[in-house]
Amino acid sequence: MNFRDSDELTALAGEYVLGLFSPVEKIEFERELAINRELAKAVYYWQDRLLEVAPMPAPVAPAPGLWARIERDLAPPAPDRAAKPGLWASLNFWRFAGLVGALASLLLAWNLITGAPPVAPGQQYLAVLQTPDKSAGWLVEANARHVRLTPLTRTAAKEKQVLQFWTKPEGASGPTSLGLVPGDRITLIPASRLPGLGEKQLFEITLEPESGSPIGRPTGPILAVGRAVRL
Amino acid sequence: MGARGQAGADGRAIGLVMAEADFDYEAALLACAGGDQAALRRIYERESRWLMGVALRIVRRRELADEVLHDAFLQIWQKCTTYNPALGSARGWIYSVVRHRALNVLRDRQREDPSGDVSLDDIPDGSADPADSVSRASEASALHRCLKHLDEQKRVCILLAFVDGYTHQQIAARLSTPLGTVKAWIRRGLLSLRDCLA
Repeated sequence: MNFRDSDELTALAGEYVLGLFSPVEKIEFERELAINRELAKAVYYWQDRLLEVAPMPAPVAPAPGLWARIERDLAPPAPDRAAKPGLWASLNFWRFAGLVGALASLLLAWNLITGAPPVAPGQQYLAVLQTPDKSAGWLVEANARHVRLTPLTRTAAKEKQVLQFWTKPEGASGPTSLGLVPGDRITLIPASRLPGLGEKQLFEITLEPESGSPIGRPTGPILAVGRAVRL
Repeated sequence: MGARGQAGADGRAIGLVMAEADFDYEAALLACAGGDQAALRRIYERESRWLMGVALRIVRRRELADEVLHDAFLQIWQKCTTYNPALGSARGWIYSVVRHRALNVLRDRQREDPSGDVSLDDIPDGSADPADSVSRASEASALHRCLKHLDEQKRVCILLAFVDGYTHQQIAARLSTPLGTVKAWIRRGLLSLRDCLA
């Protein structure tokens, strides 16, 4: 993608807002979007203009109780959320990501030269989360696109309690919340929420108070836990 | 932005150019960024029926559209700190979150079951086929004029993508036109729309 030419940048932003990119193109575009203010301006421009020119589909009432479900699943507001810019908007993050990318390329080149098997970009990881009684409680499948969490048994949280899903990459200082999850159906979580993805990464589910752990790390009992293996 | 705030015959603001005067989307979204859940609820109460219409038009199934709305509101809550009021409207940003969420669901489904594609003719909600409609933007607005100004094919391509979530390939199939031509129409259409509005 050419982000230098202004017409090209405008057209790319329009195509992005229209939703015409493939998953790979989208990743490339969003990477640039996080650091390129002109591109961000063009995206906001099309968001507004296209909304104004398009005919409005007929209004439809959402399912009753939908708001209650949204409210239940909201993460508790962090005290400093207004002050903290998103990771995706952080230039340092992308500089770091670029460095990691460059190192990965070097490693790949080295592997090719030395004949070691190259690392496939679409790496799949699997973790079976065991319950305290050592039975398989949940299945975690993760790749560059998303994490799929499948309950293998029905886990019902008691009233005023919720199930919270966590992960901690090998060597990370602490766990990251992947959100509150239902105990009776599959949850898909975008991979962008992961702090990383790798071999032996820890995944766990804990029982937490109604709106999730108030302190950003697990406080309740562990219902299931397991480590990822690469497929 | 002369099109905003035009009331329709039924008293409701027209289409996507709904009145903004009585609701401050920017203030509500910035309040969300400050951790105010009541502000998110105000956005939901104000906009959920319309957002649901947009999502349903793309994913075609009501239970999927409910899921889209659920997930999109969680995303709005999580991502609202990234909204930049200096660059554009909060309303455009909110609709964009919902559209992207709906498109992800649609694309995932189409990947899993490419044959399960529903044709436009199956949509029961009576909303206009974008191929036949211009927009309900005010007749006098620059937007209306500019959209009318576009070649028919370019306008149809842009609206099929925006309203129905079609891919380049689906648009090409629907219009029986080569893929490369469709891609070029959309790019040129976007650029002439921008030039006309400038």
